Amino acid sequence: MTAGPVRLTVNGRPTEIAGVPPEERLLDTLRWRLGLKGTKEGCRSGSCGACTVLENGHGLLSCLALTRESEGATITTIEGVATDPVGERVRAAFDAEGAFQCGYCTPGFVMALTGLLKEEGRSATLDQLLEDLNGNLCRCTGYTAIVRAARVAREASP
Amino acid sequence: MHRVHRDRARRARRAGGEPLTAASRPDGSIKLSGGAIYGTDLDVPGMLWGALVLAPVAHGRIRSIDLAPARAMPGVVAIAAGDVRGLVDGRDGDADRPPFPPEQVTYLHQPIAAVAAPTRAEARAAARAVRADVEPRPPVGDLDALFPEWPAHRVEDPSRVAAHVHARKGDVEAAFRGAATVVAETYRTASVHQVALEPHACLAEVTNDRWHVRTSTQSPFGVRDDITSILGLPESSVVVEGTWVGGGFGGKASGFLEPYALLLARASGRPVRLALSYAEEFRLGRTTLPSVIRLETGVTEGEIVARRVRLLLDVGNSLPGRDFATGYSIGFLLGPYRTPAFEVEGYAVRTNKPPFGPHRAPFAPQAVFAAESHLEAVARAAGLDPVEFKLRHLWREGDRTPFGQPVAPFGLATALEAARATAERWRRDLSPGHGIGIGLGFWSTSNGAGGEARVLLAPKELTIVQGEREMGSGSILIGLVRVAARRTGLPADRIRVEYQDSAHAPFDSGVFGSRTTGALGRAVDEAIVELFRVLGERMHAPGPARLEVVDGRLVAAHGDRREPIEALWTDAEALAGGIATSGRHYGKSGEIDERLVVDGDFYAFTDFTGAAHVAEVDVDRETGSVRVVRYAAFHDAGVVIDLAAARAQIEGGVAMGLGAALTEEAIWSDDARLENAGLVDYRIPTLGEVPPIETHFVEGFAGAGPFGAKGLGEPPIIPVPATVASAVRDASGAHVTELPLTPERVARELKLL
Repeated sequence: MTAGPVRLTVNGRPTEIAGVPPEERLLDTLRWRLGLKGTKEGCRSGSCGACTVLENGHGLLSCLALTRESEGATITTIEGVATDPVGERVRAAFDAEGAFQCGYCTPGFVMALTGLLKEEGRSATLDQLLEDLNGNLCRCTGYTAIVRAARVAREASP
Repeated sequence: MHRVHRDRARRARRAGGEPLTAASRPDGSIKLSGGAIYGTDLDVPGMLWGALVLAPVAHGRIRSIDLAPARAMPGVVAIAAGDVRGLVDGRDGDADRPPFPPEQVTYLHQPIAAVAAPTRAEARAAARAVRADVEPRPPVGDLDALFPEWPAHRVEDPSRVAAHVHARKGDVEAAFRGAATVVAETYRTASVHQVALEPHACLAEVTNDRWHVRTSTQSPFGVRDDITSILGLPESSVVVEGTWVGGGFGGKASGFLEPYALLLARASGRPVRLALSYAEEFRLGRTTLPSVIRLETGVTEGEIVARRVRLLLDVGNSLPGRDFATGYSIGFLLGPYRTPAFEVEGYAVRTNKPPFGPHRAPFAPQAVFAAESHLEAVARAAGLDPVEFKLRHLWREGDRTPFGQPVAPFGLATALEAARATAERWRRDLSPGHGIGIGLGFWSTSNGAGGEARVLLAPKELTIVQGEREMGSGSILIGLVRVAARRTGLPADRIRVEYQDSAHAPFDSGVFGSRTTGALGRAVDEAIVELFRVLGERMHAPGPARLEVVDGRLVAAHGDRREPIEALWTDAEALAGGIATSGRHYGKSGEIDERLVVDGDFYAFTDFTGAAHVAEVDVDRETGSVRVVRYAAFHDAGVVIDLAAARAQIEGGVAMGLGAALTEEAIWSDDARLENAGLVDYRIPTLGEVPPIETHFVEGFAGAGPFGAKGLGEPPIIPVPATVASAVRDASGAHVTELPLTPERVARELKLL
């Protein structure tokens, strides 16, 4: 027997997705069923952070998450991040600081930092933020510009 | 921000009109909105997923490959295996490069077949169902096992030698006999992987006789050439279209998955997507492979009198005659130093590992680590200050390299003196247990490659038409635009870069070798100079015209005269949408002094760049673990074209070099199996491990690029392992002769193990 459709709110839009097998990962649902390619597939094993999205405002490694476990959840991807005031601040900080090169890890960093700032805001120190960002890998920038962007985004937080 | 930068930024603003700031790269909006489509993102309706069937052993004779179990798997639409001439209408590809090995498996996970099915899971399950019967033979994975007595005895087995180089100058034996101090050492360096976060991926379609592939590549034209060579297709029927590239670092500099995807697309009649898993990326990626390096230096009264360099470079399954690395690596082992007498010999050794590939400044960080560490040991043995000793021997402008190339304007000595001053300043407040190291490196922008570009002048904008995708360094979307802005005086928002596929774009060799802004930038510059000449001619002016913006439109200007573009273009150009001109730049290789060469091909360095770095490290005296506390880099980049992009290259290159220095090591078992095919076990630097990095530019040494620019993609990684090793010696006395400097290796030198 096939389970019913999965109901998600993705980037503000209520979505019903039929035919999702139990083992399907949220990463694949977003990319291949909904066409949201901004969420990147890197290691596919939770080591690089490129696939990070927000689930109910919290950072989530979508390569390790089963889609059916997100039933009823609100998912935000890089395509929808600008509609979130915190997400837009992070996006703008990455833009202003040139905190990307090839851009492949960038959606994951933007979503991870957005999630941390939404949870912690300015009550988190920069060091705490950076420690939590350690799970996201970047091979181009040497992280220097990403650290600058994180500082700018944190200082812009209310 | 360091004061040097502020000064430079101010000067650049005055000169170019455009402020040089870190703000808003042109690819920011698309990359920060999720709109950039990379190779891994490709899909089209009706597409199949491809998967590679990988050899089960590292070495052996193929008895049979049974495809029947795969054909019986759900969903399988097409399989490609064995002799593929039936799929390419009988055309003969290069016999040395069959897509699938006909008789012998020569490395573990070598692709031996490929399958296509409607879903990823079906394709991978079918690939696993193929039964390959391979009679195993002992694989060769270890250089020491292969040549136990090297260098005492020469490498004789010709089947294991991909390349051999040998050169000598002067009476080396007599010079060593007469030397007051002789130091001989052996160094070893590990295999490192590019670790671009995007694994290799492409999507192929074959319709009629048009073989079309979209792929994440640093070189669309190189991929086209690889496809035509491997499949035996005419160039006119192959079209390669680049996507956004999720990191290249050399790993995407040539063709790889594309021929397999095209074969599956041909066999199935449908578009086929082929992408590596990240474990496959580690196993099949073209890594820099291990080396053993023997260095010997003789010194008398502070002067180097003789050097001997021997190199065993493991090039894995690379084909004989296709190795470029050995002769060129030798240059880095001799270093940028005057050397009156030397003997150098290197072997590129074939083992049962995957083929060798370029990795950001291929093998230079490893060679320079050995060469610089060795010279510090030599200086100490001779009772000399290492930096003073190096400065005394460094090439200066007007010198010649050991192989006879004249040394172009070159800021390495200036950079080294600046690095020494920084080191002395840091030393004044050094914490106990910390140490400071200085390293250096040099580079030669890839010559022999070439490129062409067109510019199209329309009434409102100038478009640069070219055939490379932006890899992230900014060399295309920032570098080419800066060159055009500087030549035309137009604001950057009036200049657009258009990418075209290999069937339409003017040729370019590729985004590699630190050549792009320099070489392709010169082609752009030449196209603009030609455009100015054409405009002047059409205005009947006595010389070239220039461009200005008047009332929001571009106009041609000469003296007091102004003409709108529409007044100058022909009817045909009006139809085509603009006035087009083209430019080209093909680099020239330098010449080797052939009298010195005994055997093989050496690499002629030209257009030199140099850098000196300083690191402060903290060495844990109980575990041997090394933490880099702060870092400064001094680079001769000629005339800096874009300060923010240049700084970003140094920051990223240094971080990558810290990985090669401290943690990155592809670990191969004796039977040539990669033991750490994942990001948990192969550790690249994380955010918390990269220290603050100061970036500085030494000025006054113009290069051959546009406006005196020099390449900067690769130089920043080169000095890093040498610099860190120097700092570890300073902090702890541990003279580690093997990369990376893992806690275990440091601890062993400290007699903790």
